[in-house]
Amino acid sequence: MGLARSNFTYCRMLEFLMLYRTKTLREMEENLLNTNNVRGLHHVKMVALPTSLRRGLVMLLVAMSVIVMFFYWNQTPMKPMSQSQINLVMDKIVKISPPEKTWTYRCIANRCVREHFTNDNAFNHQKRIPFLTCTMTCGATPNIWPNPTVKLVGSSKSLTFQSHNIRLKISTKFYDVERLLEDAFNIFLADLKAMESGSALDVEVQKKNGDPNSNSDKNSEQEIEQITHRNRDCDIQNVDVNVAVSRSDVTFVHLDMDESYNLTIKHGGSSARVQINANSFFGARHALASLQQMIWWDDEDELLHILSTAHIVDKPKFRYRGLMLDTSRHYFSIDSIKRTLVGMAHSKLNRFHWHITDSQSFPFQSKYYPELAKYGAYSSHEIYTPEDVKEIADFARVRGIQVIPEIDAPAHAGNGWDWGPKKGLGELSLCINQQPWNYYCGEPPCGQLNPKNNNTFLILQTLYAELLELIGPTDYFHLGGDEVNLECWAQHFNDTDLRLLWCDFMLQAFDRLKKANKNVIPRNVAVWSSGLTSTSCLSKNNFAVQIWGGSTWQENYDLLLGGFNVVFSHVDAWYLDCGFGSWRSSASEGACAPYKTWQKMYNHRPWEHLHVESTRSKQILGGEACMWTEQVDENTLDTRLWPRVGALAERLWTDPPDFHDIELVPKEVFNRMAIYRNRLIELGLKAEPIFPKYCAQNPDECI
Amino acid sequence: MNSTTTVLLWLLLLLNVQKFISAQSFKCTETGKCIHKNEKPDNNTLYECQNACRLTCGRYGALWPKPTGSTIIKNSVVHLNPHKIRFELRTTNANGQEYLNAIDEIFLKNIASECEKRDCVTESENEIVIQYAVNVFEDTLTWDTDESYSLAISTLDQTTTVEISSHTLFGARHALETLSQLITVTNGPSTNFENVLIIVSSAQIKDRPVYAHRGLLIDTARHFIPVADIERALDGMGASKLNVFHWHATDSHSFPLEIPRVPQMTIFGAYSHEEIYTVSDVRHIIEYAKYRGVRVIIEIDAPSHAGNGWQWGPSYDLGNLTVCVNQQPWRSFCIQPPCGQLNPINLNVYDVLRDIYRDLLTSLPHETMHMGGDEVHMGCWNSTKEIVDYMYNNGLGQTTDDFLKLWSDFQSKSLEIWDEESRATSVTSTQKPVILWSSELTDPANIEKYLNKERYIIQTWVPLTSPIPKKLLTKGYKLIMSTKDAWYFDHGFWGNTRYYTWKMAYKNRIPRDRNVLGGEACVWSELIDNNSIDERTWPRAAAVAERLWSDPDTDISLAEQRFYRHRERLVDRGIRAEAVAPRYCVLNEGECT
Repeated sequence: MGLARSNFTYCRMLEFLMLYRTKTLREMEENLLNTNNVRGLHHVKMVALPTSLRRGLVMLLVAMSVIVMFFYWNQTPMKPMSQSQINLVMDKIVKISPPEKTWTYRCIANRCVREHFTNDNAFNHQKRIPFLTCTMTCGATPNIWPNPTVKLVGSSKSLTFQSHNIRLKISTKFYDVERLLEDAFNIFLADLKAMESGSALDVEVQKKNGDPNSNSDKNSEQEIEQITHRNRDCDIQNVDVNVAVSRSDVTFVHLDMDESYNLTIKHGGSSARVQINANSFFGARHALASLQQMIWWDDEDELLHILSTAHIVDKPKFRYRGLMLDTSRHYFSIDSIKRTLVGMAHSKLNRFHWHITDSQSFPFQSKYYPELAKYGAYSSHEIYTPEDVKEIADFARVRGIQVIPEIDAPAHAGNGWDWGPKKGLGELSLCINQQPWNYYCGEPPCGQLNPKNNNTFLILQTLYAELLELIGPTDYFHLGGDEVNLECWAQHFNDTDLRLLWCDFMLQAFDRLKKANKNVIPRNVAVWSSGLTSTSCLSKNNFAVQIWGGSTWQENYDLLLGGFNVVFSHVDAWYLDCGFGSWRSSASEGACAPYKTWQKMYNHRPWEHLHVESTRSKQILGGEACMWTEQVDENTLDTRLWPRVGALAERLWTDPPDFHDIELVPKEVFNRMAIYRNRLIELGLKAEPIFPKYCAQNPDECI
Repeated sequence: MNSTTTVLLWLLLLLNVQKFISAQSFKCTETGKCIHKNEKPDNNTLYECQNACRLTCGRYGALWPKPTGSTIIKNSVVHLNPHKIRFELRTTNANGQEYLNAIDEIFLKNIASECEKRDCVTESENEIVIQYAVNVFEDTLTWDTDESYSLAISTLDQTTTVEISSHTLFGARHALETLSQLITVTNGPSTNFENVLIIVSSAQIKDRPVYAHRGLLIDTARHFIPVADIERALDGMGASKLNVFHWHATDSHSFPLEIPRVPQMTIFGAYSHEEIYTVSDVRHIIEYAKYRGVRVIIEIDAPSHAGNGWQWGPSYDLGNLTVCVNQQPWRSFCIQPPCGQLNPINLNVYDVLRDIYRDLLTSLPHETMHMGGDEVHMGCWNSTKEIVDYMYNNGLGQTTDDFLKLWSDFQSKSLEIWDEESRATSVTSTQKPVILWSSELTDPANIEKYLNKERYIIQTWVPLTSPIPKKLLTKGYKLIMSTKDAWYFDHGFWGNTRYYTWKMAYKNRIPRDRNVLGGEACVWSELIDNNSIDERTWPRAAAVAERLWSDPDTDISLAEQRFYRHRERLVDRGIRAEAVAPRYCVLNEGECT
């Protein structure tokens, strides 16, 4: 037995040496343990090698196998410690939206009223109406978030169906659009199936707890029977979804694309027909998001419901509807970023501004300058490879979202840029981690790129080129450019006007971006608003400004009058990190308290409050909520974002009348928001509640 | 053979060459900070990773809360193999045995959680022997329980001996928690870049809490908090040596607590049939808490904050058990919708209360209860005809004093019933004091008229500057303090309230007075559910924990590194605790002042 084992080990070893050089011993061992055949032998014979080399390899083999065996017998992975004691209460799982069997709901004057569902009701053959079924059909219009802008009518009746009865028909002459549509539709379908199976958990649990005698065959038989039985009970046997995209073949988000769509639901006999007409893939995708919100799970029927008729004509008010995430103050896993994109897609946001690096860490692993991440990432696990970025960009695109990466510069760049001297490239960044930090930067740790080192610009250009290639064509790119601290540079340069250095830096970066983008200037090259954007350094013809100062500051007027395209991210309304106090030990107050409630975000309407002339309104591209992550990591990302980002989404898509910036929203918005929030939870996001559950069950009572 | 060895060494180097390039280490400074160095670790002052440095750096290493007695943590460590831990019990008492077995399991699970995100290897031959010396085996925690312990670690050859001595089982549990914080994972040249558990090889710690009542309130009525999420809160409490789970189980919004004698409470009061704490859930929570050194005090808020769950009276011919239920416009009848206030003139209310108390006592025979008693809205009773008529017929007017009289009568009757039921279940004959929130009834000017200081403990929820706690102390009342502008963790997200950082929570000092039993952090759940309860509670509740256990008078900057470490510990144990500073600042202690 022992001998056989070592023979086998030798054979496998050669493979390892050639194929798995970079793998750790641990991984190799796992491979060893997972292999049940001796395929390796075959492989060895196939390789023809000179005798000397072969001898050398045999030596290596012997040595390696000794090492591997040595390590193998001397270590035991220690994960599974006695967990059994702890899992005592796993039998009680509360589901996302547990059926509320004690309540039934009645639509009275456009409002769902909770009533106790008693045995008497059941005795009188009254059917329990779950909250969702009541609220989706009660009231003037369907509950869609963000609210459609042109036309919205819906029936007060719904029809039951099952997701496997949905058929898609696409009519478009554009191959790429068709492919994207198929992907988008599959996502839509998967979400519906999740609604069905999420609730099927109930059945599973009951089965497990209930009848110990039933075997699995019997169960699956029952299941099939159940499905067909339910099928018979369905109002409709076919849901035909026809999607027509006529005009545009565009598959990348850009500012002038047409996101409008027209959606109708009709039914006749045992089928329903959904017709979606859009001018671009993006409009059609938004239509699917709306359609999804007219479908819900009824936990009494245990079937999906769809509104029996509906008509929506919809288009967004603003073209740029963004969310920014900072992945430098804390690292966020690919999964958590994807989750965020799912929430964005459901809310029809279309730009994911990825503040990928800052002075704290540099998690992007450049193909050409791996040193940046090697020296700048928090750990070798907390990085984004080019493949990761591509994966995220693709994940986003099919959800109607453009990824906009930002390598902030020249300020906010320290850790990750410290290896220049070692590699003979000179100081790429200055003041890295310098103390006392408050002399040289806005928050610790310091770091500001060296404006007089050509290598710095060379690296930037390479990074731009890499990122542009990964995220696909874009008409909007972000160069950062905020919070430059001139004192930092003053230590190194005796230029009389350091502000000129900053200006030159941005112009140089702009030039490098152009080179990186095959000599094409992206239509909007964004910078953060700053002291520099208040000077004449940057031209309105080349730059757009993301305004993050106060909503009443003079810069708002100046930049608009100066002809700049702007994206609003006012710190006093759309900053999601505010209100958690200071994270630094010496400060007692946070920078931008208080916390911005969803109502505050919802009612912020800078284009109205600034009294922007109509001739200037075209310059307002839209808005963006900012998630800076000094006090947020993966554990709390969802709750910080959702459902507040949804409030911004409706502001930018629908732009309903406001209530003069006070924290008051109409009851209708409250109730629709509560339903939207449940949808987010259904999609796997840990969205925060907006009021006690009682208030969700009893619309209007708490407002 | 020689050449084989060479090849072998060469190979080893090859495999690890990547790792050897980055010579990194952490140095423990005189001020107790672990700072990053670009030098190779040595065996003395340059540690190979931050965790290893933090473990022994500074007087208190990575301990949270910091011990109050003499604390010596030597900076030598030995590798730990969790399969080679032996527990020696110096007891044959069955009760004690069961408790110690349970905490041993939790201890093992906790040190395993250090390896949660990173597989550990456990090749060490070192053996760990943990010896308990416990005097009494009572497993009911009270305000009089001696929670002190002493812990001594010594290492001889390949055996590390941990001597734990304590008066009670709870002291032993705290000792074991401390021990788990003297263990961490290291990774570096010394471990061939594998994750390996290490334990401090020599330490002596004596420790006892300053306050006997170190609580966390969780409100499960505004939102139902599933049992698994409560368990996580209890895990965090155990890790931080908090010892009272104040369970605000019911409110006007919902009544999720199963009362077998009165099933209507949950049938009419729970959000759904799944959002109920069954009797077995409650028992499970009590037991789960006990093994984490936590007692459970259940609050049935009354007479205010009681609506849904009580509204079935008329249909069962019991009259209105509660009035103003869900009444609108709510601002006229309560502080917060939905309204609801018990009907003190309906005698059936007292029968229901008796049944509730009886059922509570079945699960918690030795424990006291929290009777609520906050925010009674006179406007509600004053607008209820049957109550106003009753008052008129009984010679009462409609002044505030008259309503206070009505309220205090309700309170006396409730206490009387509680005493009767309590006597029936408890072996001891002494009457247990119950807890009430501070209110108009506990106004220092009137309190003696209404509430006996031997029978009521007052939980104050006033701002730091309020004179009320001091006045109540002067009058001889026992207090539990929940400083509203420091320990109300729901603040900062609604109205004009503001968020209190962990530092504010930490800095909040309560009087050192024998009548101040301790304090509680409060997690009211209007805007919190199971998605966000972890982050609202943690790590801030841990800051309160050190305040109540150690009551330090040292500068907060000395606590920061330990606090960051504790936050990571909570995350490793499965709690989604909030980040309190950029990761850079956690990795670079002292750089983000």
